[in-house]
Formats: sequence, C-alpha cells, structure tokens
Amino acid sequence: MALRLPTQLATRGTFHHHNHTKTTTFTSLSWRRVLSPDDRLPSSTSLATKKSHVQQLVTCSASGAAQAVNLAPGTPVRPTSILVVGATGTLGRQIVRRALDEGYDVRCLVRPRPTPADFLRDWGATVVNADLTKPETIPATLVGIHTVIDCATGRPEEPIKTVDWEGKVALIQCAKAMGIQKYVFYSIHNCDKHPEVPLMEIKYCTEKFLQDSGLNHVIIRLCGFMQGLIGQYAVPILEEKSVWGTDAPTRIAYMDTQDIARLTFIALRNENINGKLLTFAGPRAWTTQEVIALCERLAGQDANVTIVPVSILRFTRQLTRFFEWTNDVADRLAFSEVLTSDTVFSAPMTETYSLLGVDSKDIVTLETYLQDYFTNILKKLKDIKAQSKQTDIFF
Amino acid sequence: MSAATATTAMSASTGLGHGFNSSPIWLKWQPSPCQRSTFLILRAASSPNTGKGNKKKPKAKKTSPTPTPITTTTTTTTSTESISQDQPQQQQQQVSLSLDDVNPVGLGRKSRQIFDEVWRKFSGLGQISRTTRVDDREALDALLIREGPMCEFAIPGAQNTTVLVVGATSRIGRIVVRKLMLRGYTVKALVRKADQAVLDMLPRSVEIVIGDVGEPSTLQAAVEGCNKIIYCATARSTITGDLYRVDHQGVLNLTKALQDYNNKLAQIRAGKSSKSKLLLAKFKSEDSLNGWEIRQGTYFQDVIASKYDGGMDAKFEYTETGQAVFSGYVFTRGGYVELSKKFSLPLGCTLDRNEGLVLSLGGNGRSYVVILEAGPSADTTQSKLYFARINTKVGFCRVRVPFSSFRPVKLDDPPLDPFLVHTLTIRFEPRRQRPVEGPAGMKQDPRSFKLILEYIKALPTGQETDFVLVSCTGLGVEPNRREQVLKAKRAGEDSLRRSGLGYTIIRPGPLKEEPGGQRALIFDQGNRISQGISCVDVADICVKALHDPTARNKSFDVCHEYVAEEGRELYELVAHLPDKANNYLTPALSVLEKNT
Repeated sequence: MALRLPTQLATRGTFHHHNHTKTTTFTSLSWRRVLSPDDRLPSSTSLATKKSHVQQLVTCSASGAAQAVNLAPGTPVRPTSILVVGATGTLGRQIVRRALDEGYDVRCLVRPRPTPADFLRDWGATVVNADLTKPETIPATLVGIHTVIDCATGRPEEPIKTVDWEGKVALIQCAKAMGIQKYVFYSIHNCDKHPEVPLMEIKYCTEKFLQDSGLNHVIIRLCGFMQGLIGQYAVPILEEKSVWGTDAPTRIAYMDTQDIARLTFIALRNENINGKLLTFAGPRAWTTQEVIALCERLAGQDANVTIVPVSILRFTRQLTRFFEWTNDVADRLAFSEVLTSDTVFSAPMTETYSLLGVDSKDIVTLETYLQDYFTNILKKLKDIKAQSKQTDIFF
Repeated sequence: MSAATATTAMSASTGLGHGFNSSPIWLKWQPSPCQRSTFLILRAASSPNTGKGNKKKPKAKKTSPTPTPITTTTTTTTSTESISQDQPQQQQQQVSLSLDDVNPVGLGRKSRQIFDEVWRKFSGLGQISRTTRVDDREALDALLIREGPMCEFAIPGAQNTTVLVVGATSRIGRIVVRKLMLRGYTVKALVRKADQAVLDMLPRSVEIVIGDVGEPSTLQAAVEGCNKIIYCATARSTITGDLYRVDHQGVLNLTKALQDYNNKLAQIRAGKSSKSKLLLAKFKSEDSLNGWEIRQGTYFQDVIASKYDGGMDAKFEYTETGQAVFSGYVFTRGGYVELSKKFSLPLGCTLDRNEGLVLSLGGNGRSYVVILEAGPSADTTQSKLYFARINTKVGFCRVRVPFSSFRPVKLDDPPLDPFLVHTLTIRFEPRRQRPVEGPAGMKQDPRSFKLILEYIKALPTGQETDFVLVSCTGLGVEPNRREQVLKAKRAGEDSLRRSGLGYTIIRPGPLKEEPGGQRALIFDQGNRISQGISCVDVADICVKALHDPTARNKSFDVCHEYVAEEGRELYELVAHLPDKANNYLTPALSVLEKNT
C-alpha cells in the first residue's frame, strides 16, 4: 500500500521513522536506566517526563518536515476508516466489533502469526500484518486511515518496553507524520500516581508523548475488564479447579469491554472531547473476595479458593528484580504495589456520562454481567448433557 | 530463604492439587523463547537449596533412556537437573512406569504445562486487567465470539438461520453482511461477478454465489439452504430496462425461487410447504364455474324509489377467450349483486394456518365487498358474516386481503376466526364507487361492473419475515426519472406482497454514508418523510427485522429525525433512538399498519 504513495515520499518517510526509532531507543534506554534503582519515585517521574519532552522536541522538528510532505495534494481519507491496533485483545476485539456494527471500515493491525486471527476477517474487518516492534512495517498500514484506535499492549511473556513504549512511540510518530486525524489511546487509571509500576509509568509517558505530539487525540484511562474475571474466577469455579485470590483490600471498578467500546465511539465522534483525558470506570468497585463470592453464588457451588497474601507477591517481585533476566516478570508483578497502596481503583463517572450523553443505566454492572454469563453457561452445559444422553440412546 | 520456602511449598501444594503423581519428573526442558522467563524464575527461586543435589546428576541422566533431541544451553540443563533433585522420592516411583511414561520430552512438556499454569495464576494475581493468553483464547473465543453469552450481538436462532444477501456489495448490503456475521448467521452473498474487488469486500467465510436476479435459472443455487433473504440490490442506472430487470423482475424471480425451494423441501418431507399459498378457486374452465351462485338483494326497501326501479342483473359466464367474467348492473337504490360459493377444501385443511386471501382479478376497476361466512359448516344458520372492502384497478391486478381486515357485519360478533370460514362471497354494490381514472372511466356508469376472476388463494401464516426488501421513497432520485424508478420499485414490492412470503419492505430516505446509531429514526407510513438516513441504520433495521414478528408483512418509510431550526418546529413525530437495548424496532413498528 505504501507503494502507491510517490516512491520518494514513501522512502523518505520510512527513513525518517527509522532514524526516529533509533533516537527513541537511546532515550528510552536511558529512561529505563533511570527507572531501575530502588529509590526513584518522585524524581524519576519528572526525569522521565523530561526525557519524553526532549524526545518530543526531536520528533516535532522531524515530523514538521514530514508534515510538509503530507500537505501535498492527496486523496482525502474517509472519516469512517479506522485502524485498530491490538485488535485480537480482549478490548480490541470488542472495539472492532462495535466499529463494524456502527458501519466503520475497520483495518486491524495484527502481528504476523502462524495461526491468523480469522475471526476478524469473518466479521468483515481487513487484517494487515505489522509489528510495532518493527517500525518499518507501520507506515504502510496507516495509508488511507482517518482514526487510529490503539488498544495494544505487550504479551505477558515479552519485555514490557518493546511494544508498550518503543512500539507506541514509533506508532505515534508515524501517525503524526502521515497526518492521522485522530488517535485514541487507552491508558490505565491513576497511572500518574504509580511511577513505580513500569507499565503504568510507560502509559503515563505515552500519554504525555501523545499530548505533546500535536495529534488530535483522546486518551481513555481504564480500570479493569469484566471479561478478565471470566478466565480468572468464573471458569475455574465452574470447572471446580482452584481459584487464586489475594487478600488485598483493593477495590477495582470492573467495566464491560463492550461498554468501553461503545463509549469510545461516542467520544470519538464528539468534537468537544478532542484532546481530553477521560477515565472509564465500572459502576461499582469490587474486591477480589467479593467477586469470588459473587461467582460462587451465581454458579451455585463453592470455590476452592487459595488466598495468596499480597506480601508474597511483593516479595516475589522484590526477588525477581534482583536478576536481570527476571526483570520482565518483576515488571508484570509490579501491580502488587498498586494493590497494596490503592484501596479503591475507581473514578466518579457522572461527569463523563453527562459529557458523552450516556445514561448510567445503560452501563452493565458486574452482577448482571456475571449473571448473564452463568445462566448461559449453565444452560449450555445442560444442553450438552442432554445431547450426550441422546447420542447414548442412538448408539 | 523464606522466599525459597514459599515457592517450594507452593509448587508442592499445587502438585498435589493437580494430580501430579503421574508426571513427577522434572527432567529436561524444551526451552522456547516465551517460556524463558517463567522457567528461569523457578531457577532463581529454588537455587538456594539445590546445591546439595548436584552429586546425583549422573543418576538423573540415566533416567532418560532415549536420546533426547533437545538442544539445551548449559545453564538450562544444569538448572533442570538441579530441580529434578528436588523430588528424589518421586524419582523412585518412576521405576514401575513404562517406557512411554518416562519419555522425557512428554514429561518435560507436561510438567512445564503444570508449572506454567501455576505461575500464570500466581502472576495474574498482581495484575489489574490482563490480556487473554493464547491457550485460553480458543475457549474464550467460543464463549465470547461465536456464541457470546453476554454479548449484545447474540441473537437466539442466528446459528440456525442462513440468510441470502442480494446486492451484498451495495452500500447497505456490505454492512448487512458484516452485521449478520457479527451476530453469527450463516451468510450467502449473491454477486454478479466474483472478481477480486468483490471478494475483498466480503468477509471470507461468506459463501459467495454467482448469479443475476434477472436470470431465474441462476437463482436456484442461490436460495439453496436459505431461510431468509435480504434484498438490497438496486438497478445501477435509471434506464427502464435495468429498473425492470433488477427492481421489479429481480424481486419476483427471487420470491419464486425461494418458494420453489420451500416447496421442494416440503416435498422431500412429503407435505406442503408452510410458506406456499393454498388454492381456493381457479377459474380455468367451464367446470370451474360450477357451485358459484349469483344472488341479489337490497339493503333497504325504498318505497318511492322502487317505483322507478331500474332493476338489477348479473351473470357469471366463461367466455370464449377463457375468462370467467362476473358482470352486470345494479340500478336499484340500495341494491347489490353477489357471487358466492361454499368452499370445498381438501380434507383436514382449514384456513386457520392462513392469514389472508389473495385474489387475482381483472375488470373495469370497481370496488367490491368480500364477505366471509364463518361458523359450524353443518349448521349454516349459526354463521356469522364478516366483510372487507377491496379496490381493483382497470386491467388485471392481484389483491391481498388479510383476515385481520375483515370486520363483523354485526358489531357484537367476535372477530373472524379463519378456522370456521366456509363460504366466500364477492358483492358488488353501486354505493361508494370511486370514479374510475382515465378518459374511458368518465363515460362509464358506476352502477355497471365487469369482474374477471382468475384465482383465489389463501396466504400462509407465519411468525417471522422471510424476505426483507429495501425499496426507496423516491427522494433523492433525479426528478425526471423518479416516476420510472418508483414504478419499478412498487412493482417489485407488489410481487413480493403477493408471493405469500412474509415480507418487510423498508423504504429509506436518501442514503448517507456515516456511522449508524447516532440519530433518532422516524418510522412512518404514507410517504411523508423528508430526511435522509445512514446506510448503517438501514442495515440494522434489515437485520433486526429478520426475527421481529412485528416486522412481518409491513411496509414502512424510515428516515432520520428532522431537527427543526429553533422556533420553526411544526409538529413532532415519534422518534426512536437506536439504543443499547436494541429493541427500538418492535415499539416503532407495532403502531404501524400491517399488510401494507
């Protein structure tokens, strides 16, 4: 697709990005180093932001040149063409589905993989292969795109920095250079208050980077997904496997990803929300214990719960941090810090609702969500049982 | 040290929890890049207390009888072996196992799986929201995507429904296909040419059928296996031939193809298709006129008028040209003539599975009253009368009379029960005749009539719509071709109405290409709308109408809500905002007239 651009333009653009990423790598490396010592909390934040500011300066000068190229006459893009980054994820697939249902033309940026994400194609989305960690693959995917919705995050097993920081920086720079007209970024609630958690720190820096990039953007901070609870609690309880929980008193306002997708598109179309930072939180904040209790009640069976004290989590994190090769794990466990410090992971939503013109009654509560899930699953299980009985008779 | 104890304690406890005894040996690992971190964390955690086990290293090697094809780095081998020393008592057990059980590759894999599972759960605890892992994905996909118990897209019955989308590459059709796929329908798409541009436009799991609605022979394959049809094709030009081919004949061909297919299925089941019409009378020969009797009467006795009575007369005859003609005149004030017959339905066949009559008529465009007599057929004195007025056109036409439009003659009688219907009467009365349009009609006396009868059939009943047709209101069509476009579209609509299929005819305002669900919709009947509508909203209505009983046998106009300028609001129509509950269609359509 990039080949359809004038060749000169395309190559120049790519070179730019290439150079950029290099600078990015350096700066972010130093940013990373700043982070590593133990006593880094407030000062590191400012440092990191400063770094990203420096970076941004570099970016602006370069992207200014790119923009000059971009102003050349070209085909105007249709406002319904969107690119979803991270389309196979829990949130991403709901975004894609919602977008398709509302009539957008959806392109999905997906990493090349042996088993392709066929369901996206089945729904009617276009799938393009690219990898955020390989910046040279990005520009081609942005051709003809009006809006980028970025819900990507690194897989648990890979280093946190490559996708979430370097990849995102490259993507934002490309978007800027190619004149993307809106960029939606998903961040984490309270990420500015927890610089000690690498993922949150990265998200916060990306927010800053995006704000400084001059792109038309919407940043949405999220608390937790209801869909995650299915795999974590509901399925193990139904399968009578052990469920692991923590004794942390933290409450998280879980939200249905379908609601998030719906609100995102309302926000996306509202010109007043440009450049704003929204926080989406569920209707009520729940502790782990409460969620497990709710699942037990709805499933009608007791769960085999293993409670792991948060102190162990923290300790494991401390331990894993000692070794260089376990740093990724340490990064992933870092949320335990949040679990011990924040008691309520939620945000008041009244203002957001009125801003978006949404009725709070339309937002799914965790009770209804899980209720729906369990009634459907139990019914299905019964059906399967009945069917297997029937086949018994036939044989 | 306490960390190490914590970890070992944990692995031991989970080992028990998972029925660990069959795969106790931690021999060799097949390191894959993604497992590296998890694996190494174990080493890190357990390294403090593994130093003492190093002397058992040779023994550990002996336990792998087959040469392992795994290439491991030195660090990993040492660490795996050191881990294997953590369970010396379990190594004793494996002596009794067969060779297959101790296959180090299998064991390594199994143990790694178990460890991964534990580790995943453990590390998952520390996170707020997580992405789904690859191995969970299969299971979750089944839950969240296909059947989606909690997904607002799921529609019960979608799995068992195959929908043929005609015009799948049109502005509306494209989105209809997507919406159907999202909801789990099986979708067939009828396209004229399957070139790459077309294939790219459609989701890959859509079955593509090549055919042309103007060619009936190509449609048999298209309707094969289909339960429902959404027709959003439209002529590409406003040339009359094109209009006729796609907008009129296309609809007719497709309804026929679907009916043929339904009949074929029914024959396989050795029965009648529930969607086919029931023939009540066919006037094809002299004999077919037998049983029809002519009666005449007056509604009231007018003493003065009877002195100047012009009389009335009527006859029902089979002409040489092969037409059954009911003709005559009524000059008497308050007089009428009627043609009546008692049905002789096939045994076990009643009209309760039908929802109306369709009459194929010709003549000079009078209006008539259809009267049904209902009651126990053995005792005609208890029969109750129900009537409905029908209008005909000059020339031939087919008239649909739903049973719901019959009113009792005596006001306190119960509504018509089609099960009890035994006699049908067509009555002509000079009252309330509209003046016939056209120059010939001006000279005609409205008290004379001529009615050519072709057939009378009963329409089948059903719950849902079988055929959704996207027509148009004529707004947005270039004015000098509007007449022709509308004529073709209306002809197409009519052929659908007469087919006996359950139909929904949607007449959207001028189409706009913008995201749907943004603005309130106006549903109306009577060609009063003035606004445009998003293609996506039309597609949404199409998809929703498939399973909505209120949408069956309805035609309606739809457009976006008219946003009046400040201070210039004239009137307010009831608008329906597509909301999350997704049920805007039912309340919107329930107030509209049926059988339109």
